[in-house]
Amino acid sequence: MSNTKSLERRDVLRLGVGGLAAGALSAGCATVASSQEKKTLAPETAPQPKQAPATAPAAAKTAGPPRRVLGRTGIEVPIVSMGVMNADNPNLVRAALDGGIFLLDTAHGYQEGRNEEMLGTVLPDRKRDSFVLATKVHLSTLDRKTGLFSKETRGEEIGEKLDISLKRLGLDHVDILHLHNQSARESVLYEPVLKALEKAKRDGKTRFIGLSTHKNEPEVIRAAVEAKLYDVVLTSYNFRQDHHLQVQKAVAEAALAGLGIVAMKTQAGIYWDKEKQSPINMKAALKWALRDPNVHTAIPGFTTLDQLQTDLEVLRDPTLTDDEKRSLEAPKLAGFFCQGCDQCLDPCLQKLPIPELMRSFMYAHAYRNREAAQALLLELELPESPCDDCGECPVRCAKGFDVRERVRDIVRLREVPREFLV
Amino acid sequence: MRRRLCSLPGALLALLAASASASSQAAAEPKPATPPTASLFPKIEGWRISDGPTRYTPETLFEYIDGGADLFLQFDFQDLACATYVKDGVDRDKNRRSARASQDGDRSRAAAGAEITVDIYHHRDAMRAFGIYTQERPTGTTPLPIGIEGYAGQDYLEFVVGPYYVKLVQSGGRETSFLRLFADKVAAGLPGTREAPAILKCFPDRGKRARAEKLAARDFLGHPFLHDAVAVPYQINGANLRLFAVEGKDSADVRAMVKRYRAAGKSPGAEADSAGSEGSATVKDPLNGEVVLRWKGRWLWGVVDQPCTECKALLDELGLSLSVFDR
Repeated sequence: MSNTKSLERRDVLRLGVGGLAAGALSAGCATVASSQEKKTLAPETAPQPKQAPATAPAAAKTAGPPRRVLGRTGIEVPIVSMGVMNADNPNLVRAALDGGIFLLDTAHGYQEGRNEEMLGTVLPDRKRDSFVLATKVHLSTLDRKTGLFSKETRGEEIGEKLDISLKRLGLDHVDILHLHNQSARESVLYEPVLKALEKAKRDGKTRFIGLSTHKNEPEVIRAAVEAKLYDVVLTSYNFRQDHHLQVQKAVAEAALAGLGIVAMKTQAGIYWDKEKQSPINMKAALKWALRDPNVHTAIPGFTTLDQLQTDLEVLRDPTLTDDEKRSLEAPKLAGFFCQGCDQCLDPCLQKLPIPELMRSFMYAHAYRNREAAQALLLELELPESPCDDCGECPVRCAKGFDVRERVRDIVRLREVPREFLV
Repeated sequence: MRRRLCSLPGALLALLAASASASSQAAAEPKPATPPTASLFPKIEGWRISDGPTRYTPETLFEYIDGGADLFLQFDFQDLACATYVKDGVDRDKNRRSARASQDGDRSRAAAGAEITVDIYHHRDAMRAFGIYTQERPTGTTPLPIGIEGYAGQDYLEFVVGPYYVKLVQSGGRETSFLRLFADKVAAGLPGTREAPAILKCFPDRGKRARAEKLAARDFLGHPFLHDAVAVPYQINGANLRLFAVEGKDSADVRAMVKRYRAAGKSPGAEADSAGSEGSATVKDPLNGEVVLRWKGRWLWGVVDQPCTECKALLDELGLSLSVFDR
């Protein structure tokens, strides 16, 4: 965050928050910016639309930082937007808006509504056409394990929650209403929900409909295209996704079909390692996602002025340098975090609860919380000497963990008296 | 300092004594042992657990609460245990249909009644659990005496006790709320303090907006170098302002914060003693406007938003309370 070159802190101080805006907006004229985009953002692997969507207007020609057209919405958005989720400082939002980051992403449920309320202290004072506001509603009848709606799902819940959100935000409509956290095709196409979303649009409470996904993204994105209702997809998209090529392909298909694409989780965490010793180059990670021209904007979350400055720098110049590219190829650590895919369970001859054991290992070695590690171990029904009776371990961990070694290591913690754990 | 202490009203002196006492109590309080998951969910007569308990870790929390997980992680979230209760003898699917009937006004079919989901978020310590609670607490709710504090709406109840932040949601059977019954039972089984963080007592009472304090684990005021802060809103003589206190690891940590803050903002120069361990300054914060700072030992405190003439006295009182709290 401290490697700011072109917008030094003293410049911010000299210019104040307004200076952030001036700095961002003076980054170059549109012609320069867009030709630079064409030159530097050409994807290496991503398929591109063969033609612009029929409903999309021409590329942005207004002066200022690079913008892209958000699919069929026709809205010209800055390539870097703001994930407001964790921000509780309205002054930071004001600074972002003044700096040219004018698409704000929140959700009905963030901070149990406090996030939208915070935005409600900022947005009503602004001209309505000076910002783009996206929020999300989550339906209480969505089964988080299966990603499916239960039969008791009431589409009306969407309208009820949206009304509450509008009141918190101090607005009469949002620009994009996302169906929150979709992970299954059936739910994306679930008729009662589609009707409710359509009604919200018809009632003028939202201009466009979208959905968000960070699981089974390719399936969800394709379903969004199939539904012919959604205008925007908000998807996880980062260089650390095991399946990022599939996501990239689905994104290209959706963009071709005219959907606006918003990328989230572009920064893929903060550290490479669980010891939190090796930070990810956040700037490079954001630029990596923006290389794909089918990604129209990204919504990195930021909570500090420094992070805002960094994002403004990317907004002005998203070119991924060779050094930055190399930084994203850096340590391929197996890490500590079990993803819970459960593919280890069947092969294990002892039928050990391996995901829980990996979690205990993580508590002990990543968080250095041996009490929690032991407490978890003691909840598990484990044989006295797991792994000792097997020959070659048939378990192959999807994340590359040496499961046998870790199990042998962690189970010893069961015998340590609690008073020696601190 | 002694002269200033003598001029303080008796009530404040009593408060200082209470703060010091609370501080020492907090320091002496042993860390509660983590109970096994199953014991977190009490047996409640006439009810059974129909789903769960399910555990979520820092890595899987987003699967349960989406992007909201990040804020919990800031407050050193350890794990989440959740379970759903239904009444004995009730099939969960049938119960859901009955709950739906209730929403539709068909009360004759709503006899099966409520389903209660209990989410127990475990944080590293009581301060952090209270911190995430303050981030989500709505304004204007009536406090409930459950654990440290709680509040409720028509179909939800939330409270914090020790290192646990607990959320209950009732669906169906809204004619009768079972939330308080469940909350009391769950709270009774959770270890840890029932007292709000003692530092809150350091903030002067006059003009203070009740139950509006917020704790920030990091990035306080939008600056990465300001961590572990408590901010309390005040309304005094028509001015809306926040008093805040930031707890450094030690005096060197606080001096480093001051140095970075003064570099970040236009500080016309600070009054400070030769070692820099105690002083005051006014910073022109590029995000937050004028911020008045004081620091001493491991405490940095100040006022932001609309500093007013009354602020000096408030800062004096807060500083004095913190100095006692620090012992």
